[in-house]
Amino acid sequence: MNEPNEPTLLRARGLTKRYGTQTVVSELDLDCDAGRVLGLLGPNGAGKTTTLRMLYGFARPDAGSVEVLGQDFQQHRKELKRYLGVCTQDDTLDYDFSVRQNLRVYANYFRPAVPDVRGRVNELLETFGLGEYADASPRALSGGYVRRLLIARSIVHRPGLLFLDEPTTGLDPAARVEVWELVASLRAAGMGIILTTHYMDEAERLSDSLLVLQRGKAVARGQTSDVLGTLLGEHVLVMAESESQDIEAHLRTLGRRPSHVLGEMRLPLRAAQLAALSAAFPERRLTVRPPNLDDLFLALAEEGAEEGAEKSPEARMDGGP
Amino acid sequence: MNDLLSAFDWRSFAVVRRNALVYLRNWRTAFIPPAMEPVIFFLAFGFGLAGYVESIAYQGQTIDYAAYIAPGLVAYTAFGTAYYEALYSAYVRMFYQKTWDGILATQVELQHLVWGEILWAACRGFMNATIVCLVLAGFSLAGLVELHLSMLPLLPFVGAFAGTAFAAFGLIFTAIVPGIDHMNYPVFLIGIPLGLLSNTYFPVASDHAVLQLLIELNPVYQLSESCRALLLGASPAPLLKLAAVTLLYLLIFTTLAIRLCRKRILG
Repeated sequence: MNEPNEPTLLRARGLTKRYGTQTVVSELDLDCDAGRVLGLLGPNGAGKTTTLRMLYGFARPDAGSVEVLGQDFQQHRKELKRYLGVCTQDDTLDYDFSVRQNLRVYANYFRPAVPDVRGRVNELLETFGLGEYADASPRALSGGYVRRLLIARSIVHRPGLLFLDEPTTGLDPAARVEVWELVASLRAAGMGIILTTHYMDEAERLSDSLLVLQRGKAVARGQTSDVLGTLLGEHVLVMAESESQDIEAHLRTLGRRPSHVLGEMRLPLRAAQLAALSAAFPERRLTVRPPNLDDLFLALAEEGAEEGAEKSPEARMDGGP
Repeated sequence: MNDLLSAFDWRSFAVVRRNALVYLRNWRTAFIPPAMEPVIFFLAFGFGLAGYVESIAYQGQTIDYAAYIAPGLVAYTAFGTAYYEALYSAYVRMFYQKTWDGILATQVELQHLVWGEILWAACRGFMNATIVCLVLAGFSLAGLVELHLSMLPLLPFVGAFAGTAFAAFGLIFTAIVPGIDHMNYPVFLIGIPLGLLSNTYFPVASDHAVLQLLIELNPVYQLSESCRALLLGASPAPLLKLAAVTLLYLLIFTTLAIRLCRKRILG
């Protein structure tokens, strides 16, 4: 956390973005401090990338404000962008240049100029394990190394705040772990990081705090356990579909619809709800486990798919058996 | 106004520098073939066609056809190079390579990116026009065409100046075409007619006042006439007209190009 006299790296209040008549991000508040990772989580179309684009200045909010280091981002845009690093989801490497030149040319887009560019580039090549490919075209790199280069390029000017938009999408498990380690090392070096991700394990492992978006709105925020507790409850009932018909019928009368994954019924429950269900089926042995972000994601995705649903996820979760 | 002043910002020059570095890496393919095109055209028209059209009436005088088209080719080169660079090359950087997206994640803003592309396209026009001028100088020194060589070094600068407006015009289409195949419209329906109906290869004039006004509003026509005035020692009046139309079009087209690119890229 920041010292009391140290301003929050980034503070956004009331961020709203509309495209035509559709509101894709609505009155969003968020903060990011030095040495902390804020994970933006949510299903497709939740507004994660739009939020990120507003935060780093790629899209102008229709309402709300963004402050970086306590200064209004729009008013001091030129100076404050020097402080930001951006690694977009798309591969935006310059394939006309070698790996080394990608870093060197990118450094030229910042003022005050990056001191000792040559030394900084060599340092990044070594830190990110790219030295072997320094003079090769990025076309020679695997997906994992391309992502390494994109992240290295986004911090060539030593930013204090880094935006990572789905940094491991499309990578194999080994490459994902390597990127996680890089992100962890940047956080340890004191950099504030805001990342979006689809991967639950990634969000859990990397983020100090989570902001869960659903249809452009924040539906939960805080540490992983708090977020899960807020949205899902303390337990997830797990049962084979073949054995769950009677319980599902009972749940339907209460307005609850469990998720189904590979022949398995799953239902998040609060302690009181679990006790009520257990009392309703005293002869049945109920298996529960702690909730994880997969459960949350499924719940949110299901909520998003229900057209015309009137209840919010919180309201639906709170319905109780 | 801020968008227009961005032409002088270091961030616009950073974009020019990036494009120049790529160009230097690929100079064999990027420089020699395009620069040879006008040379081939000069040989074909200036000496091939000139065998049939030995002389041509121009401003009350009769001059060799080769002397007539030499300045026109410099003008056409400056126009075509800047216009097509802003169409195809900029589109590839924007759409396929996502180079623009990468640059916009830095301190560079969209108006700098557009100005960088405009200035770079004008530089390309300058380089190719220089090659044509060197070839013309060689032919002139060999006595094959009669030109005022003392004014020849000015032509690439004049071409690059006008090239900024051509590039801004091209970027408007870059911002709006759905796909690269649609570039055929600005190339064949706009670029080629503009280039040909401009006193480059043959004189264009009309007794009808409106048609003549349209001809004179064609910046390629003004550029062609300016190059001709310099190389043939005619009245320098076209240079003032060129300056006026270039600044007018640059103002309008750049403002429009920035607005349209912003809409396309930033939403």
